[in-house]
Amino acid sequence: MKGWDGLVSSALLGTDRRPAHFEDLPEHIQERLGDGGLLDAAALATVYKRAGRKPLREVDPIPAAPGEDRPLPRPAAIRRLAAMLGGFQTSALGEWLRAADARGWGVPPEHLPALADYARHRAEYRPLVIAAAGRRARWLADLNPEWRYLHAAVAESNDPEYWTHGNAVQRRTWLRTLRQQDPQAAREALTEVWPTESAATRADFLGLLTDGLSLQDEDFLESALDDRSREVRRGAARLLSRVPGSKYGERMTERLHSHLVPSQGVLAVDLPKRLSESMERDGIDSQNPEGIGKRAWWFLQIIANTPLSAMELEWLQTPVEGCAPDILQAGWTEAAIREGSAEWARALLQSEASTGDRSPAELLRLLPADEWARAVDVLRKTVDVTELVGGLPVPWPESLASMILDQLVKVGSNRAWARLASIAARAVPPDVLDHPITRESTGEEDTWRRRLVETLTFRREMYEELS
Amino acid sequence: MGLWDVEQVLGLASDAASAKAGQGLARPEKWSEAGASDRAVWGLCQGSGKQPYQTAVDLSGPAYKCSCPSRKFPCKHALGLLLLHAAGEVRPGDEAEWVKTWVDQRASRADQPERKPGEVADPIAAQQRAARRTDRVSSGMAELKGWLDDQVRVGLGGFDQRAYTELSRLAARMVDAQAPGVAGAVRRAAGVVGRGHGWPGELLEELSLVHLIVSAHDRLAELPPTLADTVLSRIGWSTETARVLVEGEKVQDDWLVLGRVIEPDDRLTVRRVWLRGATTGRLGLILTFAAAGRPLDPLPARPGEYVPGTLSFYPGALPMRALLTQTDPRQPAPRPTGFTAHQALASYVESLAADPWNERWPLVLQDVRPARHGDGWALVDADGDGLELLPGWDAWKLLAVSAGDPITVAGEWNRAGLRPMTCWHNDRPVIL
Repeated sequence: MKGWDGLVSSALLGTDRRPAHFEDLPEHIQERLGDGGLLDAAALATVYKRAGRKPLREVDPIPAAPGEDRPLPRPAAIRRLAAMLGGFQTSALGEWLRAADARGWGVPPEHLPALADYARHRAEYRPLVIAAAGRRARWLADLNPEWRYLHAAVAESNDPEYWTHGNAVQRRTWLRTLRQQDPQAAREALTEVWPTESAATRADFLGLLTDGLSLQDEDFLESALDDRSREVRRGAARLLSRVPGSKYGERMTERLHSHLVPSQGVLAVDLPKRLSESMERDGIDSQNPEGIGKRAWWFLQIIANTPLSAMELEWLQTPVEGCAPDILQAGWTEAAIREGSAEWARALLQSEASTGDRSPAELLRLLPADEWARAVDVLRKTVDVTELVGGLPVPWPESLASMILDQLVKVGSNRAWARLASIAARAVPPDVLDHPITRESTGEEDTWRRRLVETLTFRREMYEELS
Repeated sequence: MGLWDVEQVLGLASDAASAKAGQGLARPEKWSEAGASDRAVWGLCQGSGKQPYQTAVDLSGPAYKCSCPSRKFPCKHALGLLLLHAAGEVRPGDEAEWVKTWVDQRASRADQPERKPGEVADPIAAQQRAARRTDRVSSGMAELKGWLDDQVRVGLGGFDQRAYTELSRLAARMVDAQAPGVAGAVRRAAGVVGRGHGWPGELLEELSLVHLIVSAHDRLAELPPTLADTVLSRIGWSTETARVLVEGEKVQDDWLVLGRVIEPDDRLTVRRVWLRGATTGRLGLILTFAAAGRPLDPLPARPGEYVPGTLSFYPGALPMRALLTQTDPRQPAPRPTGFTAHQALASYVESLAADPWNERWPLVLQDVRPARHGDGWALVDADGDGLELLPGWDAWKLLAVSAGDPITVAGEWNRAGLRPMTCWHNDRPVIL
């Protein structure tokens, strides 16, 4: 404003040294000032300035996010979301987002910043938050660099620039994305740079081929069996053992036949006497762990990596000569897990076979979900229930969930059941949340029982509100 | 007070842990012999001991009573009970004897000190007190005037070294002179010294407005009565609530809660709730204070809702501050109409014309879209005119709601920028 700076400098230096001049001030102020002094002039000018403030010009609004909004769930559901974001029962947040998404509900946009912050360090929530944010995901990602992941799906595009000039994380992401879209192209891109990459990078990138693995990768993997790096060789062998119909599988089958012969109702085993170079090339580990002899260890690995199609289910019931049956059973367990075979898993569990280093739970999860309850009921006589169900994917099938809750009803508040209860609290599917256990008194004390009932009730109300 | 909602109850919790524990207790099976009357809720909650805890809440306060040993106030039992009540899961019933005794006691204690509104216990003594205060304030104002004139004569230039101590000493003198409002203004002036390269200009603005109060006080008798009231309240004379209720201007309306701003301080938490009359369009401000760390009273309604009731305004040339007497339960309200940026600034100028010291002004902006402005943000209306948001204010919620579409925003305006309080996502109010 005209004349204001003059007032300020008079005030700074003092009117003794620099008397104030008012001629430069706007007329309106001069008229009203009369015989007032510097402070009167300043007061008038201050209010004059404040009153004369103009709106900003030439500020461009951010372009709107294109698209439509989903309808919102009812207020109770929104309040529950806010409570979870505030720290109450936060572990059910992912479930809320999934359920809302499945029913076509949107998320009130004012909660997106908190959700975006929450998922920033929790990768498993990111796809849920991206879905919840809808048309706002990319829009917010463009505005706030911390939420760039919100358009992760778009950012990890096929721009080869990432592959040739990106940092380790960007290159990895690029390769993983391409492998999902075009497995052959990804393998070819990897083959091209293979000789110039460091051993650690080779081993890391090789692991990405697990996705979309097929017989077409065989030549590349076979050549990787001769890699300079032991870790790469191991990785290649692991992958080859998962490719049906591979030469690797044929070699293992051959080895099996030379050391195991079924004849006249017994399995005659002749443990390998030495570890051949070709066996080592195929990733057979020479160093036996504690508790098992060298030769038995080599044989176990042969079984573990032989295609199940080359072996018979009846062998599980066949007497073994020449080594402990445990060795074979442990090998079959490994093979069943490697191939994800429900048939072998079922047979191994039914025959109460040794599972070696593996937990029976790892076989259990290979069975179809509707068999879990029955299998757990049988296995619980010999294996800890918590260990069995702890590794199963959630939500559990209804039969298993009801069975576990039925049991928990009966055990009072004995501490031994606390872990099972905390697993069940999250794993029980929506249809079983109204289990009778939620209507029994739990007392005031902070027991696992009370926490279980609280979580089940919380989740039940959550689904009701979102329905 | 009618049924409370869950947010209101959780707002009473002294910390997040109590809120969480309270939610855990908000289940019917935790309680026995629970009941609710018009004025209280009560129940027995089984704790770890043999005897269940006796919990009761007097809804008029709210005040709490619980036999548990918790030092938290309210304890988790009281919170749980209130939450249960908010969910409509406490059945109405007759007050148990222990509840009745306690609530009756509280009621009779509350009745005792109450005099007829505006009545003073000892009118002569009160008059003497007022006269003494007038003298003190006048001598304080004279001292301030002399000090200000001296500063301008010798110059503010050397001020950055001695400013803080001098201004603090002066602020303390003004408190002694029973002029706390002026003391605050002087303290604010001390705050700008040395801050940024434009501080001499800022300091001159602040001091000139203090000077304006002093000179207005000199000629108090010549001023229009409402402006004289404004000057007195800026100096720090407070008007007793009872007098406001009796003598204050009364406006009956459905009051839309535009939003609220809470300013926590070391010693005192201040909450400003801005209201706008649905029919009259009048603006109102409800001020609430609480000692630091203590919960504020629950809001009469959520931002974006109507409170039907009467506002009794404090006197002044720009009557804003008011007391609310609620007559009916709160109710939902439609999205309010608002201003363009230009109209909004014009409304602020009108307020300045009535009260040149006015610093805060509630605005409702209509059809505004977010824009980047320097390091911060601005809201731009359909004409392309913009208002800057308060620097440093966390705008992400507002941005997420808007998604770049035009929205309605209610905020508190001051020179530094607009501090949004509430925005509307379609017709749904969102608290910011």
